[in-house]
Formats: sequence, structure tokens, C-alpha cells
Amino acid sequence: MNSERLLALSDRWFRLLQRLYPPDFADTMGPGVVETYRDQAREALAHGGIRRLGALWVRALVDSARNGAGEHARPAVKWRRSGNWGRDAELATRRLLRAPAFTFAAVSTLGIGLGLFSVVYTVVQTVLIDPLPYKNSGDLYYVWRDYRAYFDLARGWLGGPDITELQRAGGPIEAAVGLQRNLMTFAPREGVDATEIAVMFTSPNLFDVLGVGPTLGRGFSPNEVGPKRPPVIVLTHDLWNRLGADRSILGANVRLNGEPYTVIGVLPSNFEFVRHASLGPPLGADAYITFPIDLASVDPAAGSYAGLVRARHGATHEAVAAVAASVARVIDERAFGKRGLKLYPVAMKADLIATIRPVLVVLAWSGALLLLVLAVNFASVLVARAAQREHEFAVSRALGANGAAVVRATVVEGGMLGLAGGVIAAIAAAWGTRLLVSMAPLDLPRRAAIAVDWRIASVVIVIGALLGMAAAMLPATWAARASLASLLANSAVRGGGGRGRLRRAMVVVQVAVTVVLLCTGGLVVRSFDRLLRADPGFNPEGVLTLRVPMPPQLVPKLPDAFALQERIEQALRTISGVTGVSATSTLPLTAGASQAAITIPGAPGLTGNAERDRPLVDYIRVRPEYPAVIGMRLVEGRTFEHTRRPGLEEVLIDRSMARQFFPTGSAIGAKIPFGPDGKDVLTVVGVVEQARMYDVHKDDRPQMYFRSEYGGSRSLTYVVRTERDPLAIAPEARAAVRQVDARLAVAEVRPLTEVISDALRQQRVSAVMISSFAVGAVVLAGMGLFGIVSGSVTRRRHELALRLAVGADHSRLMRLVLSEGAMLVSLGVLIGAPVMYVAGGILRGVLVGVSPFDPVTLVSVAAGLAAVTLVACYVPARRVLRIDPAQSLRAD
Amino acid sequence: MDRPRRDLEAQPLRRVEFHILLSLAAGERHGYGILQDIEARREAAVPDVGTMYRALARMAELGYIEDSTRRPAPDSADERRNYYRITEAGRRAARAEVKQLEALMRAARLGGLVTRPVK
Repeated sequence: MNSERLLALSDRWFRLLQRLYPPDFADTMGPGVVETYRDQAREALAHGGIRRLGALWVRALVDSARNGAGEHARPAVKWRRSGNWGRDAELATRRLLRAPAFTFAAVSTLGIGLGLFSVVYTVVQTVLIDPLPYKNSGDLYYVWRDYRAYFDLARGWLGGPDITELQRAGGPIEAAVGLQRNLMTFAPREGVDATEIAVMFTSPNLFDVLGVGPTLGRGFSPNEVGPKRPPVIVLTHDLWNRLGADRSILGANVRLNGEPYTVIGVLPSNFEFVRHASLGPPLGADAYITFPIDLASVDPAAGSYAGLVRARHGATHEAVAAVAASVARVIDERAFGKRGLKLYPVAMKADLIATIRPVLVVLAWSGALLLLVLAVNFASVLVARAAQREHEFAVSRALGANGAAVVRATVVEGGMLGLAGGVIAAIAAAWGTRLLVSMAPLDLPRRAAIAVDWRIASVVIVIGALLGMAAAMLPATWAARASLASLLANSAVRGGGGRGRLRRAMVVVQVAVTVVLLCTGGLVVRSFDRLLRADPGFNPEGVLTLRVPMPPQLVPKLPDAFALQERIEQALRTISGVTGVSATSTLPLTAGASQAAITIPGAPGLTGNAERDRPLVDYIRVRPEYPAVIGMRLVEGRTFEHTRRPGLEEVLIDRSMARQFFPTGSAIGAKIPFGPDGKDVLTVVGVVEQARMYDVHKDDRPQMYFRSEYGGSRSLTYVVRTERDPLAIAPEARAAVRQVDARLAVAEVRPLTEVISDALRQQRVSAVMISSFAVGAVVLAGMGLFGIVSGSVTRRRHELALRLAVGADHSRLMRLVLSEGAMLVSLGVLIGAPVMYVAGGILRGVLVGVSPFDPVTLVSVAAGLAAVTLVACYVPARRVLRIDPAQSLRAD
Repeated sequence: MDRPRRDLEAQPLRRVEFHILLSLAAGERHGYGILQDIEARREAAVPDVGTMYRALARMAELGYIEDSTRRPAPDSADERRNYYRITEAGRRAARAEVKQLEALMRAARLGGLVTRPVK
């Protein structure tokens, strides 16, 4: 080997060794080091030959390793290379303040998107995740009767003895509580305006079982129950507040249905308790009293209590179920002749959230998807920003900043934007949550507890910061690779290949997620629209409803109550603009009807199957003309007239019942045995369409309407049809009732339309939420697309100008640019479609009358998305038209 | 970017730095030239190239020396070298070091460690 080659080899070795030094040292001193070694190598080769050269190589290696390490560790210089968090934060702040438009756009996008997400997060956290606010709330169960051996009722109230048997069963069951909720007329003192409040009748151990007691005074003691109990009452904080929040109320007497009760306690303001219902929503109460009866002595055949059970800590659901089953056997034998009554427990929380859960799951998924779109959008914004700063990155690299420092500077910037966005989101969420709760279903579990607290706010802010940092990670790693050399080499084609691909991939992801969100939103809105258009079987427009309770303590004799009801109706009729007045025991869509199993002996539709021939029906008591006043449809026969015919007990049945028992002929005149032992005989005088009791869009159990006098309905809800705005006559209606008897309370004054909108609250909220998510996603995806196309036009200016110069016209170029955007959108849709297929499964549970794959919705969503994205592409693409080839080419 | 670098200024000159200043005080040198000077002084072990260049970088930061223009070395006509030149600050630092060495020398002589004058 000749010396020239050896020296060349040495050179390469010495240059290689430069890698052991920090880049800035190698940049500045490297050439000097290499040339000095070269001189030494020449010297060594000249005087000592190849052996001395070899020794020099080894010495150079050791030297470079030692000094390289020393230089890396040199504290006084290290700060300059790697920077520090504080300085990065300071620089990032300064940089962001210098670009207010960018900062504002990024922070507000993040703030609003994250804010929407946090509203959902707050609801999901409070309703689905947080434990109920009771001691060991996981050990609480509701127990229900399963009557399906007799008729179609899988969730019935317990009988009184069921509760006492459960309490006595012991084993895994620590305690059992019976609950019954009643509306009662309440007056703080004799002679003061009466109001109607909800009163929970309970076993005395309720507060011990929940592990939450009064903050003021005491709860019930174990012996304060039964026929000889002292009349004592515990008030909720809310009722106490309404009464003036006076601490001296303890020991005072209040009146319930005219009878005096002594206030012994006030519950804490955060006490939340609802009694779950056999049918219909769980409901709370304003005050608590104990049962004035002994539950064990109640007829076991009648189910009228909710049964709450506390299991011993650690007892399994199966163990509780086994005890419930054994109690069921006892009751079944005692009262039902062993026909197969069952009892089963449901965990309190699972029971509470059962109906709302599917909606919240869909909402949570939509929120998460929105967050994903947001993150991707934010990342692509940061990538775009990183592209503008590539010069800066390259220069700081050349000045000695190491990779970690560049990454960190970018991540700090993303994190700061995220943090600011998170703070705005937390504030927005606090407002948004209040708005949502005001729109939320009245029976939404834990409605009152849903609010953004410091814990949720801090989670949101942390998510914001993490999101910002995560989104910045991608552009940061890319920026860390930027070097002066690559920048110079790339300067002809600014923002070249790799990063462009990244941004395009991001847009595809955004479009895909947007497709899913938009389809979901479209379907939910369509489903809501179906519900709004659904015919509930009555006409709610122009009807005011008001409840007038008439407890026996106020009006002891039933005939007096009926006379009062008649006088109230007369008084209401005299209000100007009123065209019809009637009353009912239960308004439609309030799930408040009573049930009974009935049959029509000798009817042609009987099948011989005892169970099928004895359906469970809802019965409702009404005053004359009720169907006409609320606009129900009469199919056959007549409704009730004002005068009662002696000896004739009239009943209206609904079409489904008529069809079951009289598939061909007329049901008019049919006789229905009813009441204890079927000794009353009701005569069918008319057939009506259902005024739906549970869901606006579908019929439920068959219905029967009795005259209110039959069975004696004291408290009625009056329906007043008017040509005026129903709410406008409300004061006159109140005055009319007061004039009849000042002791009567007037409650629940509201238009009948509100009954419907209350029933649709859940659907309305989910439609609003999910569609705003979808709109947010579309805007974000549109922004992403806009950025891509406008960036692409800028980047390809030179190329496009060249194309123009060689003969392409502007429209051809427009097509070229637009096709790029269209390509990304199509890819996104292609990816989003199968995801939508999976999402359809989750959605099915919350849609009414719309298939998750409803072609009309999906096609219109696709068309809408196409239109939006086309605009997002077209606007920036128009810049192509302004390209003047001569000027552009000269400029480059 | 600029931060006071008291930690560097406060430090006394290291031996290798003193050698470099000694060489440059006599005139502009490139790296290998400085090494050859040190070798010629036979006073100490010749430092490694890396050690010397780290010292050069440090002293350039302190402003004791500066880059001279790149120019061909007189001995090899076509090769361009990096030359360094001492600054006024560098001279002051070297003189201060010399003064200190003289003081030490006097002290050594008074202490009887040195019997004949060194020159």
C-alpha cells in the first residue's frame, strides 16, 4: 500500500472520529483537528512507518473518545446545546405572542373542541363512572317482582311482606327498605297557601342503609313506624330552603294533607336520592315520612313498594339473588298459589343508568372521535407551522442545538397551546355543562350533581396539554432531523415529499372520522325528527294542564270531592277563550297509569290460553269529554257524557284491546268484569286510539279509560283546551281553582306540549350534542383540507407555472389541484365507511325508526361532506388562476 | 443566548493553554505548528490533538485567541490551514501567568528549592 493511500485512509479515520464530538464542536474545530492529525500522520509515516501510523490511529481514537466525552459533558456549554424547559417555555410564549392569529386560531379550536368533549366527559364521569353518593354504594340493590308467570310484567313493585321477609332473611342481606312515593298537599302552617310536594314513605332505616343522614336534627328511630307511630317528618334541604332555611324549624309542625307532622330533621344539601320505579323514571321526593302501616300486614298479592336492599359488604350479586328467590318462594306460596312469582335484585347503579347508558355510550364515543379529529387537526396545524420554521430549526441545529432540544422546543410550544386550549375548554365546559343539564331529561340520573368541578377541570386541562404535546411530537421529530445541509439541498422544492405525505395522511384520517361522526349525527337527528313527527295519539297544541290534589284529609267524603271537581271544571270553563275542559288521573307520556290483568268472558277473540286471554292493561280514570279535549281519536261508539247513567259502569277501550277480543265484530256493549273478585261489570261504550303513555312513537300496553268517579279518583289533572296561548291562561286557571276552595293546591301547571318535549328531552340532547360534534368535525376536516390544498398550490407554484408555460390552461390546473383534494376525501370516506359499519351496532340502541344503515341519511351525509370538502378545496385552488407563468418563473 | 461565563474566566490558565499562548505570542500558528512548538520546548508531554483543540475552542470563546485567515502553509504549497493569532486579552492573560510563575520561582529560590538561576 503506498503512503498516499494510507494517508487518505487516515483522513477518513480522523474524520470518522469527529462523530465522537458534539456537532457544534465538530463543525467549528473538526477541520483543524483533522488537519493536525493529518500532519502527525504524515510525520509518523515518514519517520516510523506503518507501525507508528497505526499507533497514532489508536491514540487518536482514545483521544477523541476522551475529549469527545469531555466536551459533551462540559457544563458551561451544555446549556447552550440542550437548552432548558424554562427558556423553551419563555421562547415559545414569545413566539406565540408574535403570531397572534395562529395562536388565537389554535387555542380557540382546541378550546371549543375540548370544551365539547369535556361536557360529555363531565356527564359520563358523573353518571356512568362515579359511584353513587352513598356508603359502599356497590352493595345497594333494588329488588323487583317478576310476574311473567301471570302476565307480561317483568318488573313489578314488591308487596309489603316481601320487604319484611327480605329484612328477616338475613345472610347476605343486611337490611331492606320499603319505599313508596306519594304526592301530598303540604302547608307549612294551618291556613298558609298549600302546595303539592312529593313525600317518600319509607321504612325507618332508609338513612342508615344509605349511610347518609340529616345534617340538622335526626333521622327516624327504628320504632317510629306503623299505625301508632308519632307523625314525624324529615325535610330535604331544598324544601327547607323554600320554607326560609330556618334552623328553628326543628320541632315545628307542618301539615301534610291537613294533618300535623313534627319536623325532626333536615337532610344535607348534597343528599340525592331517587326511588326507582317499576315503570317510568326514578323520582325523588321533597320530604320523608315513615309508613303509617305495618308492611308485614299488607295484602301480599298487591305490589306497591320499591324494595331497596343493602347487601353485606362483599356479598355477591348471586348471593343476594338467591335470598330474593327464596323470599319469592315464600310469598308465592302464601299469596299466589305457587304459580311462579319471582324476585330478583338489580344493582342500584346499574338500575339507575340502564336507560340512559346506551345514549351516553354513543355520546362518549362521539366525544372521543371529536377529540381524535381535533388532535389530528392540531398536529397538522403544527406540522404546517413547523414547515414555516424549518429555517429556524436548521439554523439552531447548525448552531449546536441537539435533537432533544429542538424536539423539546416544539413540544413545549404544542404543550403551551394545549394548556391554553385546556383552560379555555374547562371554562367553556363549565358553561356548556350548565346548558346541557338544563336541556337534559328531568330523570337523568344524578342530574343535579352534573357540574364541572376542580377535578374534572384539571383533567381537561391536563388532557389539553397532553394533546398539545402529543400533536407536537410528530412535527417535532421531523424538525429534529432538519439540518442546514438538507435545507439547502431542498430549497428548490420547499416542504418536500415526506412531510406532505404526513399531512395528507392526517387529512384522510380526519375525513374518515368525520364521516363516522357525521353519519352518527345524521342518524340521531333523523331519529329525533321521526319522534317529533310521531303522532302520540292526541293533539297537544293549545292545551293547558294543571293538577289539583284533593287528599281525604282535606275533603273527607268522596261525593264532596266529586262535587268540587265538577265545580273546578265549571270554573275553568268560564275563562275566556276556553273551548273545552276535562280531567284525568294520568296524563299521557307520564308513565303513571295503574295496571290490572283483565279478560272479557265469552269474547270471540279468546284463544283458550289463559295467560294470553288475561292481558295486563293500563287503566286511566277520566272525566267526560276527555278524549275530545286532548284530541284523541274515537274509533267506534261514543265517549263519556256529562250525566252518568244509573246502573251502568262505562268504559272505553283502545283499538288493540278491541282487536284482541273482537277480531271481527264490534266491541261496543261488551262486559268486562273488574275489581275485587270481578264483581263490578264494566260496559264498553267506545273504542279509542291510544293516547300513548310511555313512548311517543309506539303503542304500549292496551288501555282502558274509566269514569273518574269509578274507583274514586280524588286528585285529577285538568286539561283545558283554549284558543289562546295555553300559558297565558295559567294565572286565570289558578285563580279559578282558588276561588272554588282556597285550601286546594295547584301543581304542575304546564302546556301539554311540554309533556311531549319533556318526554323527548333525552333524544333532543343527544341530537344536539352529536350533531354539534359532527359539525365541529366537518369544520376541522374542512380546515385541514383547506390547508393541504393551499399549501400544495404554494409549493407547486413553480411546477404549475411551468405547466401553464408549456400550454396547459388554468382550468386544467384547477382540475389537477382539486383532484388532489378529492382523492384525499375519497380515501377518507373509504376508510370511514367500514368504521361506520361497526359504529352502527352501537348506535342501534339509541335510534328510533331509523336503521343505522339508513341509505337516505348516509347518502345525504356523503353528499353534504362532498359539498363542504369541495368548497374547502375550491377556495384555495382558485389561487391557481392568479399564477402568471412569466412572473413566477422569473421569480424562481 | 449570551450568559455571563464567569466560570470560565475565573479559572487559571491550564498548562496546555499557557503553551498555546506561548506559541502564538511568537506569531501565528496552525494546530500542528503549536504541537511542534510544545514538543520543541521539551518541558512537558505533548498534549493530544483533541485536548489541544478543546483548549483552542475554549480560549477562542474567552477571546484570548482568534482565527486568522485561512492560507496555504508555507511548507506545503497547496494545503490551506487554519491559523490562530493571540489577542491583546490573550497576551494579558499570558503575562499574568508569567508573573505568577515568577513569583512562584522567587518563592522556590527563597525556600532553597532552587540553587541556581534558571534561564
